[in-house]
Amino acid sequence: MYSIIEKIKYYFPHIIIILITLNDSLFVNSWIAPGPIVNLKYIIIFYFSFFDKERFSITFLFILGLLFDSMYAMPLGSSSICFICLNKIAIFLHKKRTRINYQNEFTSFIISLFVTQIIALFVLHEFGKAPLEYSLLFINLIFTTICYPLARYFFQYLFRLN
Amino acid sequence: MNDNRLSRSSVPGFATIQRNIEKKFLLPTYLLVSFFLLILDSTDFKAIKVVKGLTNDLVTYSVWILKTPIKYPINVIISSVKNINFNAKTIDEQLNDDISKLTSENNQLIFYKNENENLKRILNIRNKEDYSFVYTKIIHENTNEFNKNFTINVGSNEGLQINQAVVRNNVYLGKISELNLYSSKVMVVTDVNSRIPVTIPSRGANAILKGNGMGGADLLFYPLNIKLEDGDQIYTSGTDGSIKEGLYVGKVMGDKDRRFFKNYKIQLGFSDHLLNYVSVLKSKR
Repeated sequence: MYSIIEKIKYYFPHIIIILITLNDSLFVNSWIAPGPIVNLKYIIIFYFSFFDKERFSITFLFILGLLFDSMYAMPLGSSSICFICLNKIAIFLHKKRTRINYQNEFTSFIISLFVTQIIALFVLHEFGKAPLEYSLLFINLIFTTICYPLARYFFQYLFRLN
Repeated sequence: MNDNRLSRSSVPGFATIQRNIEKKFLLPTYLLVSFFLLILDSTDFKAIKVVKGLTNDLVTYSVWILKTPIKYPINVIISSVKNINFNAKTIDEQLNDDISKLTSENNQLIFYKNENENLKRILNIRNKEDYSFVYTKIIHENTNEFNKNFTINVGSNEGLQINQAVVRNNVYLGKISELNLYSSKVMVVTDVNSRIPVTIPSRGANAILKGNGMGGADLLFYPLNIKLEDGDQIYTSGTDGSIKEGLYVGKVMGDKDRRFFKNYKIQLGFSDHLLNYVSVLKSKR
């Protein structure tokens, strides 16, 4: 029997990721100031898929991706593919590791993020109508990697999912 | 006894089998559906565009309804903090000065406008296309690593078209990038994919203004023999045929030789993060 607080705690990542997807400007009120160059969505999906593979279902990630594409005028289906792939790569890498320590986790994050961004690049290149800005994607990759330890520390403090 | 054996049996139950089937088939199904949607999205079938437009409208308005109870109090708090002022008297005097200054400038402008129209009549120059304003409300602001855009609450129902300029107080903000039936997405001038033809009247030069995705914009393809200076104003040139000419975009800030990236810094004409209403310039033709 779960208490309400436990249920809220369990669905906290879902709520956060939905809020980010639906409205980035709730957190960063800016479409003229530098945008969210840290990809918080990928950090959350990776972290919870890596430590708790049951947390995000594929259906949830699929619908979330469709919502995101619809809101941000991206090719419909592109974010769904990225989110599902990131989830599956994180689960796969967790299975492959015999011992989980911070170093392993961070390496797994870099690999997952890199592969996901390559998939995103391919999908947007093939199906997107607007030209891609590679430098911005690279900046996004670097800043997301740098910010992962901070976000991880916060999630560890809240959820203790080791 | 039998019950006991059944409970210890290693044969999976119906629920487990169902979960296994779901696990095996969900992933390829969703990936296939995603690719199918991508392919459909890249085609130009009218029916698909209509369906996509309606879906976008549905999502946009649902999010707007959901967001309003959260966003409204935040906006009220921010605007009330902004409006607290302890120097009201001084500011009032400054504003009065500004009003008298602007009134005299406006009179001068009216004089120049009449003179311009008279000269045009003498030289037999026709006026360029007329535009009308469609006032709209911003219902959503989006920023991600690829795009910077916002959503307005009018679409093709008001006769809007793709690439029409969106302005606020005659300052260029962006252009319509995606058109739905009851909403439209506007690509802001700072978006990495935004490119607009501009002119710098004080130097007699034309250029392309490209958003850098980091909250600013860069000038491209300007004549290399012309050196821009601090305060040179930038306007839309209207050479692309869809954006009205003479809309203020921003001004040049600082010398490019002093900058690391050897590019002019542009201060854009708008700076308010909390814009609520904008207007779309619709051609009367």
